[in-house]
Amino acid sequence: MTELSFNVDHGYLEGLVRGLKAGILTRSDYHNLAQCDTLEDIKLHLQCTDYGKMLSSSEEDLTVSLVDSKLRENLVTEFSCLRSNALPPLSTFLDYITYSYMIDNVVMLITGALKQRDVAELLPRCHPLGAFDQMAAVGIARTPTELYSAILVDTPLAQFFQDAVSESNLDEMEAEILRNKLFKAYLESFHSFCKNMGGATKDIMCPVLEFEADRRAFIITVNSFGTDLSRADRIALYPSCGNLYPEGLRLLGRAEDHGQVKEVADCYPAYKIIFDDPEPGSGFKTLEDRFFEQEVKLNTLAFLQQFHFGVFYSYIKLKEQENRNIVWIAECVTQRQKSKIHNYIPIFQGTEQ
Amino acid sequence: MSSLLRGEEMCLAQLFLQSGSSYDCISELGELGLVEFRDLNPSVNAFQRKHVNEIKKCEEMERILGYLLREVKRADISLPEGDVNPVAPLPKHVMAIMEQLQRLEVELGEVTRNKEKLQRNLLELTEYTHMLRISRNFVQKSSEREPLQVQYEEFPFLEKDTMMDYSSMQRLGARLGFISGLVKRTKIGAFERMLWRVCKGYTILSYAEVDEYLDDPDTREPTKSVVFLISYWGDQIGQKVKKICDCYHCHVYPYPSSNEERNDVVEGLRTRIQDLHTVLHRTEDYLKQVLMKASESVYTWVLQVKKMKAIYYILNLCSFDVTNKCLIAEVWCPVDDIPTLRRALEEGSRKSGATVPSFVNRIPTNDTPPTLIKTNKLTSGFQNIVDAYGVGSYREVNPAPFTIITFPFLFAVMFGDLGHGVIMALFALWMVLYENNRKLKNTRNEIWNTFFEGRYIILLMGLFSIYTGLIYNDCFSKSLNIFGSGWNVSAMFRAEVWKNGDISGNRLLTLDPNVTGVFNGPYPLGIDPIWNLATNRLTFLNSYKMKMSVILGVIHMSFGVILSTYNHLHFRKKHNLYLVFLPELLFLLCLFGYLVFMIIYKWLVFTAKDSRHAPSILIHFINMFLMQGDAVQPLYPGQTGLQVFLVVIAVLSVPVLLLGKPVYLYWLRHGNHRPGLYRGYERVRRNSEEELYLMRAQDMEEGSSHSDLSTSGERQTEEFDFADELLHQAIHTIEYCLGCVSNTASYLRLWALSLAHAQLSEVLWAMVMRVALRMDTRLGVLFLVPVFGLFAVLTVTILLVMEGLSAFLHALRLHWVEFQNKFYSGTGVKFCPFAFSLLPSSFEQHGLL
Repeated sequence: MTELSFNVDHGYLEGLVRGLKAGILTRSDYHNLAQCDTLEDIKLHLQCTDYGKMLSSSEEDLTVSLVDSKLRENLVTEFSCLRSNALPPLSTFLDYITYSYMIDNVVMLITGALKQRDVAELLPRCHPLGAFDQMAAVGIARTPTELYSAILVDTPLAQFFQDAVSESNLDEMEAEILRNKLFKAYLESFHSFCKNMGGATKDIMCPVLEFEADRRAFIITVNSFGTDLSRADRIALYPSCGNLYPEGLRLLGRAEDHGQVKEVADCYPAYKIIFDDPEPGSGFKTLEDRFFEQEVKLNTLAFLQQFHFGVFYSYIKLKEQENRNIVWIAECVTQRQKSKIHNYIPIFQGTEQ
Repeated sequence: MSSLLRGEEMCLAQLFLQSGSSYDCISELGELGLVEFRDLNPSVNAFQRKHVNEIKKCEEMERILGYLLREVKRADISLPEGDVNPVAPLPKHVMAIMEQLQRLEVELGEVTRNKEKLQRNLLELTEYTHMLRISRNFVQKSSEREPLQVQYEEFPFLEKDTMMDYSSMQRLGARLGFISGLVKRTKIGAFERMLWRVCKGYTILSYAEVDEYLDDPDTREPTKSVVFLISYWGDQIGQKVKKICDCYHCHVYPYPSSNEERNDVVEGLRTRIQDLHTVLHRTEDYLKQVLMKASESVYTWVLQVKKMKAIYYILNLCSFDVTNKCLIAEVWCPVDDIPTLRRALEEGSRKSGATVPSFVNRIPTNDTPPTLIKTNKLTSGFQNIVDAYGVGSYREVNPAPFTIITFPFLFAVMFGDLGHGVIMALFALWMVLYENNRKLKNTRNEIWNTFFEGRYIILLMGLFSIYTGLIYNDCFSKSLNIFGSGWNVSAMFRAEVWKNGDISGNRLLTLDPNVTGVFNGPYPLGIDPIWNLATNRLTFLNSYKMKMSVILGVIHMSFGVILSTYNHLHFRKKHNLYLVFLPELLFLLCLFGYLVFMIIYKWLVFTAKDSRHAPSILIHFINMFLMQGDAVQPLYPGQTGLQVFLVVIAVLSVPVLLLGKPVYLYWLRHGNHRPGLYRGYERVRRNSEEELYLMRAQDMEEGSSHSDLSTSGERQTEEFDFADELLHQAIHTIEYCLGCVSNTASYLRLWALSLAHAQLSEVLWAMVMRVALRMDTRLGVLFLVPVFGLFAVLTVTILLVMEGLSAFLHALRLHWVEFQNKFYSGTGVKFCPFAFSLLPSSFEQHGLL
């Protein structure tokens, strides 16, 4: 039934986002980009795409970081256009997307403050999608409790703090744990939000978020090897809304080395391919890249259905991946690493040209 | 005329441009807009081409120009978008322009930066004065309370705090501190809450709104701010408070400790603000001067840079010859324009002072050239109507010249009303007379532009509507009695058919044309006005309009079929004439042509006297297919025989249409295969285009005609597939034969729409105007004014605009579907020449703003 009235509130934005999606770089664009020799060439080529005059309007010299910030600016402009036109519940959904960036920003500011960095220096490095008013004051807090009760209680992040409140002093390890705890709460909350939405939104978003949860579980496990994070602590950080829950997470909690993680992944066909050793002939890809690849695959599926919010999430994620790709190519071009230039992750490969 | 009928003859030409003069030559060609360039290095990436650096330079200049334009616009200086048309600058002059632009940019940047710095300073000073002024009230408030407290100037509730009373604070070395400043009004709530939470209440915040709007230096928007004063204990909390202030982007200013100091500061600020104002004014004046100077030439620069960039894009399409001394470009060019092209190249070479001239060389090609049909302002509208369906194939018969007459005519058949036609024609005439008015021409209102572009179409539609309105004798649903009706009522009395009593006794009386003197012959032009009074008017008009639609439709379609012969003859497919055109025409004429004949025959033969015996054409037409004419009386002797004959011919033409062409082609390929067939082709490859035609003509005479030889000459290499050909022909046959029936029926929309239009205008008259006209008191005159207004508005909106659009759409359909599918394939590519005049010409469209 929701399909009947979907277009009344959200039809315009869905149309908009589908139009924007048509601007995602195609395989031939990447092919041309990979042939560039200088950043000027990349700029020239991007002019023929939807990015248009994005790079040419600045006076400064072209650097990779400029490209990166311009791309990010572009994404934020698009997102804020969507957000400012959104009606509930889509506006809540879009807010949920920004929360993950907020969490990252908070943790970055905390670690920055621990290293005695100036806030003014840190702020430009925060992701603008996750910007909020109280951001600059994050450095004041000494413990997670203080962080919560003094600074973040007004922000939407407050709802994720239930489990994260502790009196221990914030150090780098604690900040990282805080990030994972927040993310766990965030993912679970987002997951249940999408589940309650029902319909196509649930069908599309739940697999994506479940994948995201599982990815975090894997990454936490792999990263915890060689640190003094206890097993019980580790288990507490796993988001419980993924496909791995509960059996896989229990197994992961017991894992001691990479081999055991791989054994766990072997039980799940979707993750088996990610952890499989690459064939000798093909190019080596990091675990992260392979997770990204899988994510892109899941996100492209969102565009096959209509009348749901998944397209917004997927578009932002795909666009982010595209930005990573362009920055990667730009890095390779400036550092003359032509051999690695093809390690980007193409979006919509082969399906449309 | 022949060019309008078929489009221009095009040829592929090679331009040899000396590398020294290539820029000037291309520039010259761009001004003329004669030729379409082909990309000779399609495999080369955009950034690997030769002139990529020049293009980058152009883009840099565009960026500066965009910056200039934005600044000029911000300073509210009008931009002269004059009629200047500067030629593209010579490469040696480009550096000068570039330098000038860069100098301007630097200068402007410096001045703007200075100005912004000054503005920021000024804002800070103003904020500081506001803060001092307002915060004085805070202190006064607290000093009023002071007498209540005995010896401390501090705040009462702290005393009640058992944990930390003032003495213990003093013992700890804590002291009272003040932070004051301004924060945006929207943030004050959150700011206060956070302050309270972080400092656990050990601060006191008092604030008041500034009553003026202050300009935000970043967004340049007037925003409201709030002055606040925080009093706190101890350095630790002071640190935190400062951080929070930073976080909320507060503008913090030092808080004077005493009243004297405060007064001094205020005094100092006042003089500084005055000084700043004078400096700021100077700066602004200077900035304005710089911008004024820039705005004079900025339009010229924009055009020049656009042209330059376009030229380099074209140069990138060219390739080098082996010696690397000259550029080779391939262009499509109308054959007639080649002398002009030569002259342009000579001009370009002369301008650049090249010793070796650039020249043109025609080359033979197998590619299909793009279609160019030269239009003027009258024909372009109609050409657009045709092109919207499909751009004609190269050298195909172009329906546009016929559309110029048939389109407004068919429209008018549906829109036949003298009054409405006059209004429409006058509106279009006004647009035509003022077509050079810049205000009308350059408007950005899309709906208006649509009407304005079609002003000649509307004019013709209006004029034709006047004509059909006269024929229908309809003017705002009333009839004009110009020549006097052909019917005479008093003759009925004279012949004593009616008595005086009949008039009072009957509501309706029928005039009998058979009584002498009642009907004195037809009205000279159109429908007799007496019909406007008759109750059976609709029956009469329906019969007339329906038959008229069928007659017009059959004529229109037959004309389309006949036009296809021009294509068959031009593309040297003579067999199509016998195997496609002839059966098609026979099928159409034997069935529907005969129907038209019967309609006209009945009109001519049956008069008022024997109208009771007039047969129904429909029954006769149905009987013609059933081949049983015995039941009804024949229209003329020998009718049954003729009808059987016609049906047989029509039926026989179907298999001819279906099988004739494929079988003939098959026979040509396999049964009549002679080695001489390809001889001509081999020879042609080495010869030029003109000889190609001769060769083909010769082949035709020899009887070894290439079956499907079109101008492209590519078909010969194509594999002939009998099944394919048969399938295509079968589809065509089915489409045509069914189409004849459905298309004829489709022309009945002429009747339907004209009926709807007439009825609607009659209803409007009866429901609106007549009501007011029937009031015969004096008030009725006053009543008439608003009612006429309503009538006028409804006439224009519903009858003219809405009905006009619907009639337009139906006329469009009749042309696209019913007329053009008889002969027009519309699979061509439009010729788009390289012309500077096609570059966008206003600042907004440049994408610089």
